[in-house]
Amino acid sequence: MAGLATTFGSGAMTNSINEIERAEVILVSGSNTTEAHPQVARRILDAVDRGAKLIVIDPRRTRLARFAHLHLAIKPGTDIPLVNAMMRVLLDEGLADDLFIEMRTENFHALRDMLFRLDLDEASAITGVPLPQIAQAAGLYGRARKAVICYCLGITQHVCGTENVQTLANLAMLAGQVEKQDTGVAPLRGQNNVQGACDMGALPNMLPGYQAVDHDDFRLKFDRAWGARIPAEPGMRLMEMTHAGANGPIRGMFIMGENPMISDPVLDRVEETIRGLDFLAVSDIFLTETARLAHVVFPAACFAEKTGTVTNTERRVQMIRQAIDPPGHCRPDSEIISSLSARLGFPLDYDSPAEIMEEIAALAPIYGGMHHDRLEKGWGLQWPCWDRQHPGTPFLHKYYFTRGRGRFVPAAHTPPAEPPDSDYPFMLITGRVYHQYHTGTMTRKSERLNRECGKAELEINPDDAMDMGIRHGETVRLISRRGELTVSAFCRNQVAKGMLYTSFHFSDTPINRLTIAALDSGSGCPEYKICAVRVEKLRSKP
Amino acid sequence: MQEIIVENSQIRTFVLTFCEPEENVAFSPQPGQFVMVSLPHCGEAPISVSSPPTRPGTIHLSVRKAGKLTNAMHELKPGDPVNLRGPYGRSFPMEELPEKNLFFVAGGIGLAPLRAVINHCLDSGKPPRSITVLYGSRTPSDIAFKNDLQLWQNLGVNCFLTVDAAEPGWHGPVGLVTGLLEGLNPDLSRSMALVCGPPQMFKAVLSRLTALGFGDEQILTTMERHMKCGVGLCRHCHMDGKLACMDGPVFYLSELRGLKLTELDR
Amino acid sequence: MTHPANDLHLIKKDHLTGLLRKLMKTHRLVAPVRNRHGDVLFTAIHDLDAVSFELTEPPQNSLKEFFLPQEEVLYTYKVTGKTGYSFQPSSVEVPATVYFGAHPCDISSLLYMDVIFTRNRRDPFYLRRRRGSLIIGINCNQPAENCFCNATGSGPFLELGSDLQLTDLDDRFLVEAGRAGGRAVIAEWPAFFSPAGEKEQALRYQAFLEARGGFQRQVPIEQAIRRLREGTVPDEIWAELSLRCQDCGGCAYLCPTCTCFTITDRPLAQESGERIRAWDACTFAGFTAMAGGHNPVPSGEALRQRFTHKFRDDVKVNGRPGCVGCGRCVGACFGGSDVIRFAKQVTEERGKGAGHD
Repeated sequence: MAGLATTFGSGAMTNSINEIERAEVILVSGSNTTEAHPQVARRILDAVDRGAKLIVIDPRRTRLARFAHLHLAIKPGTDIPLVNAMMRVLLDEGLADDLFIEMRTENFHALRDMLFRLDLDEASAITGVPLPQIAQAAGLYGRARKAVICYCLGITQHVCGTENVQTLANLAMLAGQVEKQDTGVAPLRGQNNVQGACDMGALPNMLPGYQAVDHDDFRLKFDRAWGARIPAEPGMRLMEMTHAGANGPIRGMFIMGENPMISDPVLDRVEETIRGLDFLAVSDIFLTETARLAHVVFPAACFAEKTGTVTNTERRVQMIRQAIDPPGHCRPDSEIISSLSARLGFPLDYDSPAEIMEEIAALAPIYGGMHHDRLEKGWGLQWPCWDRQHPGTPFLHKYYFTRGRGRFVPAAHTPPAEPPDSDYPFMLITGRVYHQYHTGTMTRKSERLNRECGKAELEINPDDAMDMGIRHGETVRLISRRGELTVSAFCRNQVAKGMLYTSFHFSDTPINRLTIAALDSGSGCPEYKICAVRVEKLRSKP
Repeated sequence: MQEIIVENSQIRTFVLTFCEPEENVAFSPQPGQFVMVSLPHCGEAPISVSSPPTRPGTIHLSVRKAGKLTNAMHELKPGDPVNLRGPYGRSFPMEELPEKNLFFVAGGIGLAPLRAVINHCLDSGKPPRSITVLYGSRTPSDIAFKNDLQLWQNLGVNCFLTVDAAEPGWHGPVGLVTGLLEGLNPDLSRSMALVCGPPQMFKAVLSRLTALGFGDEQILTTMERHMKCGVGLCRHCHMDGKLACMDGPVFYLSELRGLKLTELDR
Repeated sequence: MTHPANDLHLIKKDHLTGLLRKLMKTHRLVAPVRNRHGDVLFTAIHDLDAVSFELTEPPQNSLKEFFLPQEEVLYTYKVTGKTGYSFQPSSVEVPATVYFGAHPCDISSLLYMDVIFTRNRRDPFYLRRRRGSLIIGINCNQPAENCFCNATGSGPFLELGSDLQLTDLDDRFLVEAGRAGGRAVIAEWPAFFSPAGEKEQALRYQAFLEARGGFQRQVPIEQAIRRLREGTVPDEIWAELSLRCQDCGGCAYLCPTCTCFTITDRPLAQESGERIRAWDACTFAGFTAMAGGHNPVPSGEALRQRFTHKFRDDVKVNGRPGCVGCGRCVGACFGGSDVIRFAKQVTEERGKGAGHD
C-alpha cells in the first residue's frame, strides 16, 4: 500500500479483477495465486486460454509457476535488481512508452540514471535468474498492448517491501501499462476485508477514507463529527505494540480477530509483551492462543452471523448478510464496541449496520455514495464512489493518477536482514498452504481440511535432503537465532537448493518462533519471507 | 477382547470373541476377507482377519500401529469392547490350493492375511503338497508371528526368514525377501505364490517370481487400500476401475496387469 | 419420441398451482425458485402463493442433496461402563415429497443414484428418502449455455424415469405419465387434466427438435468414451488437466451423480457420538491416503479418477456415462479442468495450453 501510495497516489488495486482476463501479458510476482486467490487465478487461466502469456516470478516452483510460459526462479529478496534489470532491457530495446512517461509521470530522469548505471550481469548473479530469461520477460511485458502485474506477500513481506512495490510501479509506468483498461498493478490482499479495514482507518496514520490524521482539516472534521480530540500524531504500528517487551509503553490492549501469538514474528517476544500487559481484552470467534491470555474475552459473531459489508482487493464493497443466529452470547463486533463505548461514557447509538454506513458515507468521501440499499443490488460498488449517483470506479487513475502525475521512485537492492551464513546455512521462507488459513483458528476445526493437510511440513529440496540423509516424512529439528522446533520434512521439487519453505498455520509448529522481526520501514511489515536457519536430524529414530 | 499377543513393538494380534455367543458361529470370515473395525470416536478401518473359519470361537486381528484407530487399538486390554462390521471382500480361492506347492511371500504385517490361509491349509482335509513361507522383517527384533512360525516349522512348513538389518546374535540371511527366492526351484506345473507386503516389496517380488517362471494366474495377492464403507459404495479404495473391497482385496496378478497401479509401477 | 406406453394428457399452465396445492396436502413440495439474490435453487416450498417457479434456467443445486444429504447422521454410538459399545441407527422422518420442475439431466442423475444405492446392497438411508418421492419433471425447450445432455444421452427431453413428465407447449403442458405414481396422480385429480391427442404429440416433437438444435456446446463425449476405453489418452493431457485443477472439490459437490462419501465419527460427549456420512471427492489427495502416509494415487494424479470413473467405468458397468451433461462443473471449476475441456482435450490431436516446463 505504502509503495503504491507514493508512486500512484493510491494504495489499492488500479484496475478490476475481471480485466485480468483480457490482458495479453500477466506478470505475477510473489503470489501463489492458485492457492491464495483462486478466483484471480481463474481469470489468469482464462487469459492464458485466450492466448495471453504468463510470467511468474517466484523462488518456488508453485502450481502457477509450472503453468507459466516463463518462470523466473528468483532468489528471495532480489526483486528490485530483477525488475530494475527488466526496466533496463526495456530502455535498451526502445520499449519504454516515451509519450506516457512524458505526459503522465515525473522524476523519470532519476530512474533512467539509476538504470543506466546497472550492471546486468551483476543483476543476473544477485537474482539467480539467467540474463536471457530476464530479457525475455522484459520483452514480453514491454511488447504487450495490455499487461497486468499481480503481486502479493512475496513482494511485501521483506525489509524492502515498500521499495519492491515502488519498483513494480516504476515498471508499469515505464511501459505505459497503467491508466488503461485491462492493464495496471494489482496487489492481491491477504484477507477478505483487510482492504476494508484499511479503508476505515485501521492504520496508525489514517482516519477513514485515507484522510491523514496529521492533516488538520481532516482531523478537525472528525473531531467535530465525533465530539472528540483526536491526537495529531500517528499512532504505533503493530510490531511496535506487540514487540515492546513486558514493560512497553502500551499497558492495555483490545485485540479483535487477530492472533499475534501465532502470526507475529519472534513469538517469544510477542508472548513476553502480551503477558506483561496490565490488561488484555480479546474479541474472537474461537478461543485462540491470544485469547487464552486475555483477562476478558468477547465472543464475536462470525461472517454468517452478522450483516454488513466487506471490501476486497479491487476496492469492491459488497454486502454480507446474516444467515444464522450467533451461538450463545456471541455478538457482532459493532455491538461489542458500542456496548464497551457506552460503558466508557461515550454512547454509540446505531440501530443497524446500515446506519453506520450512512455515517461512513458522510465522512469518507471515497465511500460517499455507499449505502446499503445501493449495495443490496448486484455485486456492490467499487470506490471511489463519491455520491448516490456515482456508479463506482472500476479502474483508478483513468486519465490521471490520484496524485496527479505518477512518480518514479528508483530503488536499489536491499539485501535481506538475515541472509544465510555458515552457522545458519538455509534460507527459510514462510507462507501459506492451500488447505489451511492463517493461524488455523477456523480451518483446523474442519475434519476434511485436516485430512488433506493436518500438520506443518517443511519443504526441502530433494538434493539437499539426500545430502543430509533426510527421508521424506522424517521429523527434523529446525533452528534459527531466535528459536527452534521440530517439523516433518517434505522432500518435494518445489524449493531450490539452500531454501526451505513452511507455513505458519499450525500452532503446534509455531514457525514464527524462528522468524525475524526485521521490518520494512515504509509499511512496518516483517520480513516473513527470509530468515536464516539450520536443519538437524533428530538423534533418535523418528 | 479376549487376549492380546504382542508380536513386536508395532504389531499386536488381538484375539476377539463375540459378546453374543451365536455370532461366533455365524460370523465366519474366509481367509483373505477383512472386517471394518471401530472404536469410540476413532471411526473405522479395514483390518484383515488373520484366523481361519476352521478355528471358530475367536477372530484374530493382527494390527500394526499406523493411525488414530490402530494406535487406540494398541491401548486396549482384555475385556474391552471392539466393534466389527463384515466380513467383507473376496477371499482367497482356497479350492485352488490343495495338491499345490504353495509359496507365501510376505513382509512385515503382510503375513497377517496369509496366516489365515496357512492355518486353514494346515487344518484342511485336502492339504497342499508343500508350504513354504518366505518372510522379511526390518530387524530380528521386528520379526512378528514368532509363535506361528515356530508352530508351522514343527508341522513341516519350510520357513525362511530374512531381515533388512541384522542385530547381534542374528545368523540368518540379511537382505530383501526377494533374496530368499533365489534358491527356489519350484515345480511350476503345480505351484502358486501368495504375496503380501508393502508396495516396494511387492514390485520386487513380482518381478522375481515372473523371472522364475510363475505365470500371472499363479500369483495371488491381497491389496491394501484406504476404505470407508467396505461395500463398494464410497470408492475410497478405487483401483483404476476396480474396488479393493468388492473386486478384492484378493486378486490374481493376471487381473491386475492392465491396471494403472503404483504397486505395478504404472 | 413419446413412449407408446405413456398416457398423454394436458394441463393448462394456469391450473398447475391448483394441482400442486392438492398434492401439498399429502406431500412436501420441492421446486426450483429464484431467491432474492437471483439464484435459482431447488427449495422446499411452504407458501405456494408466495413463489413463482423458474422452470427454464437450470437450478444451481441438483436433487442430490435431497436423497444423499451433504451430511447425514447414520448412527449414534454410546459407550456404557467398561464393556458397552453400541450403535443406534438414526431415525429421520422423511415426508413424502413431490419434486417438481426437475430437468431431464437431474432426473437421469436420480436414476443413476437408484442404481448405485440398490445394486449391491439396498441402502436404507437413501431408500427412506426415495420411497416417498414423486417426480414431476419438465423437458428442456431451451438448453442453457453449458448444457450438453444431448451428448450424454440424458436430455433435452426425457423418455422414461419420472412419474409425470411435462413439456411446455406455451399455455399448457403436455403431461406424460411414465410410472404408476404419475398415473395415480392423474387418477386422483382428474379435474386438472384433459386428454391430449396427435396435435399435441406433434407439438412436442417440434419442441424436441428445436431443443436439440439449441445447444451452444458441441461436446465429443462418445469419442472421449472411446479414447478412454482404448486407453489411448496421452499422459500430457492428464498432466495439464491436473495442473489446472485447483483441488477445490466443487465439481464433485455440485455434480448430481457424484455420490462418493466418507464416514467419520463425531464425538458429542465423552461417551457418545455420531457416525456421519458426508460428501467427498476423489479429486482430493486425502480421498485415498492411508494411515501411515502412503497414498496409492501419486500427488497430482487424482483428477484422472474423476473422468475414468464417469466415462469409462460407468460405461462398462451401466452402459452409459455417469455424467448427465448438466454443465454445473463447467460453471464452477476454478481451473478450467471441467468435463467439457476434458472431452475436447482427449479428442483433439494434441492438448493445447500453457505449461511449457
